[in-house]
Amino acid sequence: MDNKIKQLRKGILELAILGSLHHKSHYGFSLIKAVSGESDIELTEGTIYPILARLSKEQLVTSEWVESKQGPPRKYYFLTPNGEKAFKILSAEFEKLANMVANTSRKPLSQNKNENRKSISVKKEKDDAE
Amino acid sequence: MPNEFSETVDKIVGNYLNRFKQRLKSFPEQDRDELVKEIQSHIYESFTNDPTENEVERIFNVLDKLGEPDDVIASRMPEAMVSLGKEKKRPLYILAGVFIALFALPLGLGGVAVLFGLVVTLVALIFSYYVTAFSLTLAGWLCAVISVIKIINPYFLDSYIDWTPIVSDPTLNGIITLSISLITAAMGLLLFWFGRYIMRGFKFLISMPFEKIKEMRKKRRLNGISKRQEAHHA
Repeated sequence: MDNKIKQLRKGILELAILGSLHHKSHYGFSLIKAVSGESDIELTEGTIYPILARLSKEQLVTSEWVESKQGPPRKYYFLTPNGEKAFKILSAEFEKLANMVANTSRKPLSQNKNENRKSISVKKEKDDAE
Repeated sequence: MPNEFSETVDKIVGNYLNRFKQRLKSFPEQDRDELVKEIQSHIYESFTNDPTENEVERIFNVLDKLGEPDDVIASRMPEAMVSLGKEKKRPLYILAGVFIALFALPLGLGGVAVLFGLVVTLVALIFSYYVTAFSLTLAGWLCAVISVIKIINPYFLDSYIDWTPIVSDPTLNGIITLSISLITAAMGLLLFWFGRYIMRGFKFLISMPFEKIKEMRKKRRLNGISKRQEAHHA
């Protein structure tokens, strides 16, 4: 089951990172805070940084070093135009998928069930008549 | 490192970063600097944001969460791990290793030339072996045919070949040369037949290092894939 969860998370996490960067540029640590937010999904640096590395390799995000008032400079990540496009397409797709999951996991309406039964019995009568 | 760290914390972080840098030795300098700088920044940010009171405990918390340098590098740069210089030389080491095992010859990488020479020698030996087998067979059959004709016609080809008779009787002489010829031809055929086994051994010898290399590559590819998947899944 763990594997299934990991698989499910993989793509969605990428989308969540794109979403966070769509609103505001982040450095690694702040991105972890922003993405995990109030959710109880545990996010670690071991998850976020590899995704960021992959996204920059795909040129969906790019980065820039910015001096910090405190401590060493921070590496800020932000979306490239391609990244913005990808985010729009992916979030639209995600919405469709989320709707689909919501619809299919809901109990089918009892009305539909009766209709199904009716059609079966009609068919049976036809068969008998022949 | 920033001077906000206490001496102890600075030492711990320094040790971690040194281990990190050591693992990154074979990477391009730019990638290396980027990665180290980002890790440094990350350590600082998490350290200043961690609520743990004890400083030492806090820094260990941060580094634990970050993971061991090997894991961090592997999960971030799966492609880069494969192209490490060390791995490129591996097939040569295997080849050298196989020959050391076979001939007890201590070869370094420079010994690959010696190895090449050995292979050439082997090929030459096998070639001459087959030439011998072929010429024995051909000469044997030719002489047998001539002997048979000479039994019927003792003066056949006398102006071209000069066979000193072994016995004076031409018929008996013919039979003796015929038997010698047939034995020669048989020896040639025997050499051919035996050659199959020699060839089989030779093929095995040649293919062994290549098989080993193939195996290693396959394993490495599988390892790489599973590592990458782990990295993706984590």
